[in-house]
Formats: sequence, structure tokens, C-alpha cells
Amino acid sequence: MTAGGGSKEKRKKPVDTVKDGSSAGKRRAPLTLLLGAWFLPGLGHWVLGKRKRAAVFAVVIVCAFVTGVLLQGEIGTPRPQNPFSWLAAFACLGNGILSIGRLVWLNGLGGLLSGLPFGLQGGGSPSAAGFAYGNTFLYTAGLMNLLAVLDVSDIARGDKD
Amino acid sequence: MDHLFLMIWHALLVSVFFAFLWRTSAVGRRGLFLKTFLIMVVGSAVLGWLMFPFP
Repeated sequence: MTAGGGSKEKRKKPVDTVKDGSSAGKRRAPLTLLLGAWFLPGLGHWVLGKRKRAAVFAVVIVCAFVTGVLLQGEIGTPRPQNPFSWLAAFACLGNGILSIGRLVWLNGLGGLLSGLPFGLQGGGSPSAAGFAYGNTFLYTAGLMNLLAVLDVSDIARGDKD
Repeated sequence: MDHLFLMIWHALLVSVFFAFLWRTSAVGRRGLFLKTFLIMVVGSAVLGWLMFPFP
């Protein structure tokens, strides 16, 4: 057996975060935990005792969101006759309180409630040099937080460490 | 703001996130971080260089 064969065997090993539990998928993660994890980035991992991961996720998501706002990115809001705007809105809504807070900042609480679903202002400036980059950062931050919520679900169900 | 800096900043954030999402050991995280970060930064530079001749 050559050294190359050994490294192939090594590569076949499963990802080190996945458990081989037989009870995987039988339990459900509490809805309040998932809502909390979505609403405040890092909260779900913090509650589950994954403090380091929680801090890193919170810092990364907040940094990405703030960068997006500073670059004049626009919080995605639904637009009539534009189905892709719903995808952008979904991605941005993944930021939880960051996205909601920004929408309240721009529209006011009354404007936020009365403007649903098509009358919301997402801020940003399409003429700014960083507009497209800012949008990318905002979408990325939201999607990362949604992935973190799925991770919280896996940990709570015992599928993952 | 500098486009290269934004690309590197984006790659850094995403790489750190996935390193902590998909790995639990320090060695595993470091390895995945370096791999994804370098693939994104170097891959983007190479792709940009290859696209340079096109209008």
C-alpha cells in the first residue's frame, strides 16, 4: 500500500462535525430557539452552549451587514412585477433584527407596518459605486444567518456537535 | 472603496463563517478557512485575469 492509498482512505472519513447518532432526526428543535437564533445572530448557539461559535457568527454577520449598509446597499424589499425581489427580500430578512431595525430606521415603525408588502423603502443608493457590493454583503449576511439557524436546529436535535 | 479590498474582506468573512459552521476542531477550522479563502481570492484573481481580454 502506497502513501497515496493511505491519503485516499483518510479523505473518505466523514466530516468531523457530523455525529453518527442513531436518534438523528427524531426530535424537533424548539421553535422559540430557532426564532431567537434568526432574530439575534449567534443567540441560538449561545443558548446551546456553543459560545465561541456564537460569538464568531455574530461578529461575522454583523460585520457583513454593516459593510453592506456603509456601501449604500439596499435592504431587499418585495416589488410588484419583480419576482426576484422576493428572493432578495428573503435573503435580507435572514438578518433578523439587523434587517428589521434598518427598515424601521428608514421607514419608521408606522411606515413599516403600513408599507407592507410593496411600499417599503430599502435605503441605499443605486448610483453609489458600492451599491452592488453592498447588496452582496447584505444578502450574504442574511443567508449566513439562515444557515446558522439550520445549524442550531441540527445541534438541538442531536444531529451535530 | 477599493474593489480588491472588498473582495478579500468578503472572502474572509465567508471563509471564517464556513470554517466554524462545518468544522469543530481548531486544526479542521484552520485548514478549511485557508482552503476556502485562498480558493475565493486566488480564483477570483485568475478569473478576472482570464476575462481581461474580453470587452
